[in-house]
Amino acid sequence: MKNAKRWLALGLATVMTASMLAGCGSKESGSDEGDKGGDGKGSVYYLNFKPEQDEQWQDLAKTYTEETGVDVTVVTAASGEYETTLMSEMGKSSAPTLFQVNGPVGLANWKDYCYDLADSDVYGELTSDSYALEEDGTVYGIGYVIESYGIIVNKTLLEKAGYTVEDIQSFDDLKKVAEDITSRSSELGFAAFTSAGMDGSSDWRYKTHLANLPIYFEYEDEGIASTDAIKGTYLDNYRAMWDLYINNSTCEPSELAAKTGDDSRNEFLAGEAVFFQNGSWEYANLTGDGQFTDDDLAMIPIYFGAGDEANQGLCTGTENYWCVNSQASKDDIQATLDFMNWCVTSETGTKCMAEDMGFVIPFKSAAESQNLFVKEDAEMTEAGKTPVSWNFTTMPSEEWKNGVGQALTAYAADETDANWDAVVSAFVDGWATEYELANQ
Amino acid sequence: MEKRKNIADKIWIVVLAIAALAYVYPIVMILMNSLKEETSISTGTAFKLPTADTFAGLANYVDAITSKGFLQSLGFSLFITITSVAAILLCCSMCAWYITRVQTVFTKGLYFMFVLSQVVPFQTVMFTLSQTADSLNLNTPWNIWVVYLGFGSGLAVFMFTGFMKSVPLEIEEAAMIDGCNPLQTYFKVVLPILKPTMVSVGILEAMWVWNDYLLPTLVLDIKKYKTIPMLIQYFRGSYGKVEMGPMMASIMLTVIPIIIVYLAGQKHIIKGVAAGAVKG
Amino acid sequence: MEKALKRYSPIFVLPTFAAFIIGFIIPFIEGLYLSFCQFTTVSNFKWIGISNYINALKDTSFTDSFKFTVAFAIVSILSINVLGFGLALLLTKGLKGTNIFRTVFFMPNLIGGIVLGYIWQILINCVLSIVGQPLLALNTKAGYWGLIILMCWQQIGYMMIIYIAGLQNVSEDLIEAAKIDGATLKQILWKIKIPMVMPSITICVFLTLTNSFKLFDQNLALTGGDPNHTTEMFALNIYQTFYARAGMQWKGLGQAKAVIFCILVVVISMIQLRATRSKEVQQ
Repeated sequence: MKNAKRWLALGLATVMTASMLAGCGSKESGSDEGDKGGDGKGSVYYLNFKPEQDEQWQDLAKTYTEETGVDVTVVTAASGEYETTLMSEMGKSSAPTLFQVNGPVGLANWKDYCYDLADSDVYGELTSDSYALEEDGTVYGIGYVIESYGIIVNKTLLEKAGYTVEDIQSFDDLKKVAEDITSRSSELGFAAFTSAGMDGSSDWRYKTHLANLPIYFEYEDEGIASTDAIKGTYLDNYRAMWDLYINNSTCEPSELAAKTGDDSRNEFLAGEAVFFQNGSWEYANLTGDGQFTDDDLAMIPIYFGAGDEANQGLCTGTENYWCVNSQASKDDIQATLDFMNWCVTSETGTKCMAEDMGFVIPFKSAAESQNLFVKEDAEMTEAGKTPVSWNFTTMPSEEWKNGVGQALTAYAADETDANWDAVVSAFVDGWATEYELANQ
Repeated sequence: MEKRKNIADKIWIVVLAIAALAYVYPIVMILMNSLKEETSISTGTAFKLPTADTFAGLANYVDAITSKGFLQSLGFSLFITITSVAAILLCCSMCAWYITRVQTVFTKGLYFMFVLSQVVPFQTVMFTLSQTADSLNLNTPWNIWVVYLGFGSGLAVFMFTGFMKSVPLEIEEAAMIDGCNPLQTYFKVVLPILKPTMVSVGILEAMWVWNDYLLPTLVLDIKKYKTIPMLIQYFRGSYGKVEMGPMMASIMLTVIPIIIVYLAGQKHIIKGVAAGAVKG
Repeated sequence: MEKALKRYSPIFVLPTFAAFIIGFIIPFIEGLYLSFCQFTTVSNFKWIGISNYINALKDTSFTDSFKFTVAFAIVSILSINVLGFGLALLLTKGLKGTNIFRTVFFMPNLIGGIVLGYIWQILINCVLSIVGQPLLALNTKAGYWGLIILMCWQQIGYMMIIYIAGLQNVSEDLIEAAKIDGATLKQILWKIKIPMVMPSITICVFLTLTNSFKLFDQNLALTGGDPNHTTEMFALNIYQTFYARAGMQWKGLGQAKAVIFCILVVVISMIQLRATRSKEVQQ
């Protein structure tokens, strides 16, 4: 027994010494980093969401460090692992100083960690307040990249089928063209739409991006920006659109579940389909390696048979908001704000974001993007068309999206009214349940 | 009678050969596709051999090695595995010898805790362990072996004590009487006896550490360090684009060294595993 | 000798003990305590009693993952052990090429769970796509059988090695004597070989059982729990509760689930060890 006590004491003593040593260690390394960045300069740790742009961010960070001497570390989370990575990194002593949320719903989880950006320089650089994530006068996040999505058209193929982009001005036009192509598909050698790809690699095109439209029109009708219970007024249009996609695609509707996002893209690249619902981020994938030129492509709005179709623009918005970690040290916060500001105002920063990363950034000194789809969006807005805003950021949770995606796939396999009712139920009832769960 | 047995044997050999081919096939398939061009890898064509059109040579391998810091990760993985296994082998065998030879309440209690720790799933401690490791700064490849020693000691101590119990005391006592202190006795007498068990434990622990994903993901400072299993995750893009070519190449790059080590030392590995399992 | 050894205890025990405290005892005790708390970090917690446990048991995703895990464990334990034992029988017959076969069957065991998961995800998705079935991410059945095939592929070789070692210990004399007494091959298998290798069976069943219950890497890489959590096993469910759901309430819940998981694994291992040990032949 005596021995046991002695051992316990010894054990505790060891642990204490170890933790003390470690404590000193961490202090040392802390001041170390400070030294590297010059006194009181702080350092930046950016947890990036987009794996595609990892290399560019690393380079940009290096350039910034060379110019200013402030350390910038960029870590990119593996795809689908952003929330888990953020969660585990936030628990650590050196937590990210700059991170991302995807909108109001994502913000709810991280509000306590968001520094108020209302007085920051970078907030003043925004071209429109609507790109800020603001609640009750506090600016929690700033959208740093604007993206557009719609239906990407292979113009060459469309002309082969005897139409031009101008022929499509409404849902009915789109339906007529698509069904005509389907009826002649064996003769033409291509189909109207690419296959859907309902696995995790591209189901977001339907359960999130396409589902944005019924939500958008309902919000417009009600004059609201978010809701705890969706009514599903425009779900019939959603069904009509989904029917159009799956009945006029490269494969049978029941085979959709066996396709991936890569399959879908490869079909479009190989000229097997005219239409491909996707966004401006696909530009690099479609034009790389000399596959398509700007003359081959166009992006048209997703006509939905609702609202004022003649004046409908592309779906344009952001789900990438920058937030600054309020729990970080003062120096680090300042360093982070300076870095953000530099990214969106300096020539190097804006050029890198526009050309290398292919982003459109909503800041005053943004460099012009080379992205065709982005240019088209700007032209449409200039012509007086109203962009469809991104309301899927108000979807109650990932669970909700998965439920809708699941039901859509089941419906595609067997297009019955009963199966569509399941989609409606996942959409409407699922919204209420998930909203309640998320806001307990 | 003899003839019938021969035929039966032949049939069995054919069956086993088919099974063996099926066993190797998944790896062969990855190898095949890793040599194809990116756009030619899709779910429909994965079973086709690369043709002149789709053959990409080693381009995917070059991409895998250069773009995501593969070599660096390989270095970290190697270093972590070697230090952790070395620490586990040395420290745990010493501890196990002490536990078997000195019977007190403390050693019995400790032994019980070691056995318990073997069964406890990692998820039970994942959060608290990562926070403890973080507060003690055990988040670099240079010192993460402490965490591995702590969490992996259960199995090692258990296996060493299991073996030690069957070793007669006399030799050790004789050495002590000859004037050896315990440390000398350990290195001159106990360690040589333990060698076969060392090999088993070493192999089992090395397999665990080398392939471990969750512990390094949660504990390591991901700003600077990634191990191989962590790296494999990075070949997917945020909009669902999977870099299939480089991903398959990096899978092959991870698997090939394992196969080489295995083929070189398979006798020891298989024997070690068998001995370890039977003892445990 | 004990005395002399005791004086050296700091050298012999302390390193392991200190690491064990850091790597297991502190996290384990802290984990037990935190399962009764609401918390975001270890330094920021509030005692809330057993409500985490109540919520955990009410959480259908948790109970579903339990059912899935059990369904998986039963089939995988049976198939891995039966196939492993069968291979071991074949490979102790002195067939030609025994060594090559042994080498091949054992090999997948050395490959890590994440890598294995990706290899099989690619393979299974390709097969599903060709036969026009939904891909893994949308297909619970394929996910279930995929996990079982994957685990068989990985573990049969390992169990085979253990069974071979066990079978080699069965004395030839005993089998010869039985043959002279007119025992059939079937009788030899059931009456002699199996009882004699009971210790190996204990170990193998024990290993496969804990392996299936603790399965994580393979599950994460192969299906990730898709579609809609239906192929989520225990360990993955806990991980997802902990890290994929943001907010105060989830962490305590996840920790409580983890403790339940731990108790369950400990209890199962104990029952199982006792049950098979009692059937062993006294040697």
